[in-house]
Amino acid sequence: MASNNPAAIQTRELSKRYRRVTALSEATITVPEGRISALIGQNGAGKTTLLRLLAGLARPTGGEVAVLGSPLSQAPAFLADIGFLAQEIPLYRRLSAEDHIFAGAHLNSRWDGAAARQRLESLGIPLDQRVGTLSGGQRAQLALALTLAKRPRLLLLDEPVAALDPLARRQFLAHLAEAVADGGLTVVLSSHLVADLERTCDHLILLAASRVELCGDIDALLAEHQLLVGPRKDTTAIERDHTLVQAVRTARQTTLLIRRNGPVVDPAFETADVGLEELVLGYMGQQAGPGPAHLTAIGEDQ
Amino acid sequence: MTWLVWRQYRNQAYFAAAAIVVFAVVLLITGRQMASQYHSALSLCSASHHCGNLANTLVLGTPLLSVLVSLTVAAPCLLGIFWGGPLVAREFEVGTNQFAWTQGISRRRWLTVKAGWALLAAAAWGGAVSALVTWWSSPVNAIKHQNFQPAQFDIQGIVPVGYAVFAVALGIAVGTLLRRTLPAMAITLVVFTFVRLVVGQDFRSRYLTAVTETFGFLHRTGHHLAVPTGSYWLVSQGLVGPRGLVPTSQPNGSGVSVGSHGVSIPLSNMPSACRALIFRNPRGIFPCLTAHGYRGLFVTYQPADRYWAFQGIETGIFVLLAAVLLAVTAIVVLRRDA
Repeated sequence: MASNNPAAIQTRELSKRYRRVTALSEATITVPEGRISALIGQNGAGKTTLLRLLAGLARPTGGEVAVLGSPLSQAPAFLADIGFLAQEIPLYRRLSAEDHIFAGAHLNSRWDGAAARQRLESLGIPLDQRVGTLSGGQRAQLALALTLAKRPRLLLLDEPVAALDPLARRQFLAHLAEAVADGGLTVVLSSHLVADLERTCDHLILLAASRVELCGDIDALLAEHQLLVGPRKDTTAIERDHTLVQAVRTARQTTLLIRRNGPVVDPAFETADVGLEELVLGYMGQQAGPGPAHLTAIGEDQ
Repeated sequence: MTWLVWRQYRNQAYFAAAAIVVFAVVLLITGRQMASQYHSALSLCSASHHCGNLANTLVLGTPLLSVLVSLTVAAPCLLGIFWGGPLVAREFEVGTNQFAWTQGISRRRWLTVKAGWALLAAAAWGGAVSALVTWWSSPVNAIKHQNFQPAQFDIQGIVPVGYAVFAVALGIAVGTLLRRTLPAMAITLVVFTFVRLVVGQDFRSRYLTAVTETFGFLHRTGHHLAVPTGSYWLVSQGLVGPRGLVPTSQPNGSGVSVGSHGVSIPLSNMPSACRALIFRNPRGIFPCLTAHGYRGLFVTYQPADRYWAFQGIETGIFVLLAAVLLAVTAIVVLRRDA
């Protein structure tokens, strides 16, 4: 990544407080251009809030934010570059897919209706039927096609694959990767499904309890973390040298997830590389406390 | 954006257009009958010498038609409920504003186009209904001189346009604040009715200072009496008492009344000594009143030639209220989160 390239998303201590609840707390995030960033967190961690802030749908209560080099705005020029898909897939139920494509052409200066039509036809989604009569998966595909037809430079997708079956999910993510490879597009997509994201994403934003736990290149983050498995109960030495993310202690062994500061030189522990799922679970487990509760949070559909 | 607005609301537009066409056909057919009925009665009247009062002898239209026409008083409110209320609230409710607000148009334009067409349609529709009612009522207006009376004032002329614009703006504003369609519709109904009643009952009679005429009892002949004529609006009437005007509590008061010069005084408004004369010596009532210090009768009214001034003022008030509501709506839409 060229460092002189402006980041697609740059926030500093971005916060969103509702009357009593803090939905996002001092989030500092950088997403370079051309990345597919996975936005991961439990329900209520602030994923939707972050995406809505970046799309200009909600106003921050604190901090700074630059999206594609511009401050948030309601101006058409700003909105033209951003594609946003809300989690609840809001579409006009009485209008057909064709109507939506037509509406998009009227509402956007840059609009690729032909691509959307072609994509929907290849998926076998009827263009002339009321959206209210389509299945949840078809509606999601339509909404995604409409979002892509806008030809945005930044795509913000809130749980885009939640309504799709596994095959459609994989096809959609592949389609997304292609679009990014063509250049000029950055994607942030939130999901519970770590396995899906691992294949597609190269950037991670991990939110827990309205705070940013991790933000960066996935490969670099995985390299920074290490899993230690050993019999020893006393881990004070390791905790002093490294940042302990999560410790799981059973009667016979201790498993530690650490963020390394240099090499680990304790012969009592076996080291292992960390996968994205383990990393994510580790950080979430730290929040949720030990126990199986956090495991059910992963891969759980709404 | 106009295309999307049309696509979203075209069914409602068709329905409203069909309703106005049916209404127009009914009123045009019956209105022509009424007009010819009126004109033949008028020419018959001028041919003969004992004509009497057409208001008492000529019956125009049917009760059912009169009811139908009176019901148009509800038309602006219905526009507010069914066009204004859901316009923004429905979008928030199902989240489609998130779709619209992330397309390449500003929220300001989104609101301007949506609200603009809704208001324009409401003004046109309300204006069409009112124009038909005004035309249909013209023979009745001519013989009964009632178009300044609240029940007719509210459904004729230009005020229905003001009401319609206000109602739709109210619906939009309430819907924007509540973000829920049904509560917005209900509150629009309540607030609209309340504002209409308050303006009609408490403010309208004061737009211009009413004219008060007083005259003495029993000036039967040879005196020019300044009894108001034409389609005036009677605000109050009563006795000129020893300590000033004593208005009759209800202009068309119930119970037994004694009339003079078109002003009727209920017995309940009189001193009991005079009241008792009704059975023994009705002619003695006015001398009795004079003896008790009452000097005559009065009417307070808005003259007929102020009709259009009042229509203009009332329309202006409602259009102004609509403008305030729309300004609030714009601020909320531009500033609040989706």
